[in-house]
Amino acid sequence: MTLSKDTSMLGRGVKRKWSCLEELEAEGLPDAAEEKQQSASDESAESGDEAGLLPPRSDMSHLQQRQLVLGLCLEKLQRYQAGMELSLRRSVLLINTLRQIQEEMRSDGVGTCTSDVLLNGVHPDSCLLRDDFREEDMPVTCPGCAEGDAESLSPPLSPEFPSPEAAGDQQKPPPAATVSTFSDAVNAMGYLSDLALDDIFEDIDTSMYETSDLPSAWSAGSLWPVSVSLWPDEDVKMRPGSHSSAGSLQSCLTDLNELDHIMEILVKS
Amino acid sequence: MAGPGGDMQWCFSQVKGAIDDDVAEADIISTVEFNQTGELLATGDKGGRVVIFQQEVENKNQPQFRSEYNVYSTFQSHEPEFDYLKSLEIEEKINKIRWLPQKNAAQFLLSTNDKTIKLWKISERDRRPEGYNLKEEDGRYKDPNTITSLRVPVLMPMDLMVEASPRRVFANAHTYHINSVSVNSDNETYLSADDLRINLWHLEITDRSFNIVDIKPANMEELTEVITAAEFHPHQCNTFVYSSSKGTIRLCDMRAAALCDKHSKLFEEPEDPSNRSFFSEIISSISDVKFSHNGRYMMTRDYLSVKIWDLSMESRPVETYQVHEYLRSKLCSLYENDCIFDKFECCWNGNDSVVMTGSYNNFFRMFDRGHRRDVTLEASRENSKPMQVLKPRKVCAGGKRKKDEISVDSLDFNKKILHTAWHPQDNIIAVATTNNLYIFQDKVN
Repeated sequence: MTLSKDTSMLGRGVKRKWSCLEELEAEGLPDAAEEKQQSASDESAESGDEAGLLPPRSDMSHLQQRQLVLGLCLEKLQRYQAGMELSLRRSVLLINTLRQIQEEMRSDGVGTCTSDVLLNGVHPDSCLLRDDFREEDMPVTCPGCAEGDAESLSPPLSPEFPSPEAAGDQQKPPPAATVSTFSDAVNAMGYLSDLALDDIFEDIDTSMYETSDLPSAWSAGSLWPVSVSLWPDEDVKMRPGSHSSAGSLQSCLTDLNELDHIMEILVKS
Repeated sequence: MAGPGGDMQWCFSQVKGAIDDDVAEADIISTVEFNQTGELLATGDKGGRVVIFQQEVENKNQPQFRSEYNVYSTFQSHEPEFDYLKSLEIEEKINKIRWLPQKNAAQFLLSTNDKTIKLWKISERDRRPEGYNLKEEDGRYKDPNTITSLRVPVLMPMDLMVEASPRRVFANAHTYHINSVSVNSDNETYLSADDLRINLWHLEITDRSFNIVDIKPANMEELTEVITAAEFHPHQCNTFVYSSSKGTIRLCDMRAAALCDKHSKLFEEPEDPSNRSFFSEIISSISDVKFSHNGRYMMTRDYLSVKIWDLSMESRPVETYQVHEYLRSKLCSLYENDCIFDKFECCWNGNDSVVMTGSYNNFFRMFDRGHRRDVTLEASRENSKPMQVLKPRKVCAGGKRKKDEISVDSLDFNKKILHTAWHPQDNIIAVATTNNLYIFQDKVN
């Protein structure tokens, strides 16, 4: 069978994908997954906004949707921490969705900070950040800069995001798991990329937090204080400091915002 | 009831509530319930008020026009409270109303907010005593020296007064938010369910209750499932069911053990792997469970469907009806705007042949089990002329939209019908939009 000279070797959509890839290869970013997401996002952007509901998501790549749902999940949970009360049912459903996404990310082999698959962030900044951090000297300066604000990157940030391992491991949360869990979720928000987060957390002085009003479960090193704060054991009427748990989480969120601010400064410098 | 082979048509009868579009939050209807005879229709709202409508016993000569429902009694059931220990406000919103079967002249109902259940007595007074010896008519006391003769006070007719008084307050038994109340067929006990526990009460005793289900894990961090609804069997006083956020229903027998943590039956449909998504669990969460009147079936409502279960078969439902399958491709958006968490209720008609549930855009759906027919109707002010026949509505999922069809993207997701009720003996339905109560009846030819 001969092809007419007007027919391209590849179908229309495929051709686009390849051309995207060719362009980006020239720029030195050989991430196939990212291309797939880019073409998918182009297609969905074309379909346009329809009244009432957002454009059909069926053409969104699985990874893109996962990223979106993850972001939404965290946003909704943060809303609670900002003072709006979530029903227990809703909190449980959100946390279960979060866990499901985490499991999937984990099984995709995304356990380390350096995985590129994580970086299909919806944030346009993420690519920019990645490019900058590709420089070898960045990890050196980043922890250095970050350490100055080490108090912001306190342990409560890491346990904020759930890990399926948490349930079984109460006594000593393995720092690696904590960090990777945190980095998974944080990367999803596009704040950080392949930084050596281990280095950041290594030297953090947590003594100031041990004497604070954090619920006892937190200071015990539990990895699941999201549950403690979202649905504190309400039967225990006189739990010390429980009323301040919302406030502590509030400060963690502001810490996250500070982190974002720090990253912006680093990128611009 | 629907004639054999004939299509049932529904007509507008009445609408209750404010006309203006500016909805006061306190007026949002949160529960609707007919009593056992259907003569009384109760609604609860977010402001903690209960409004009871009574069907007038007139116009029996006019078969095409059933009696109207008029306001019978209005009272403030619950007030907002503040839990000082936890620094939390307790909403006064009425979550559920359940009528007790009538035993004497007075009517009784249970109403509940998130934390406290109250038993209300609604009684009529149409006579008052007149002719006291020591008191004037206005209540002032007479000077005893002026009394020269004795008389017996006489009961004289007066304008009907309907009084509601709280007879029992069942408080401090629920740590979590109460989602269900169900009166037992023994007419002596009832259950109340919150997210993690179910308590059994005696109607006469308010200072204690029995905990019959407790799914709270020892470690709250392991919590993955909550109770979403519970109901007693209509005839077997030892049997009740409760549904969960994971789409399971457990049937428990109180004779088996004091604590019914071990279910007698577990109803669960295996998940369709082709439909798996990030939202699978959320949409499988059961928002309502209702036994059929004959006690052989139960109906569950999850986000997209209504399922009928035979109590003798746990493996899967015997019937499944899609309420708004066109929303399946929009789950991400519905997750974004929180609509995916909406809790729709469902109800049976008197002879268990038709089931009804609400949807968005002020649509509600009826599924005729026997004739395998379903219809979508709309509760709106536009279709509110007396006895106006409701036109079936159709949602266009995709492709070319036909005339009179409405496309999915034009649906108003703020107009949701969460609460519906069906008269136990007649074809009269009560449908609650955000702040209006619509009453429809079938067209009698």
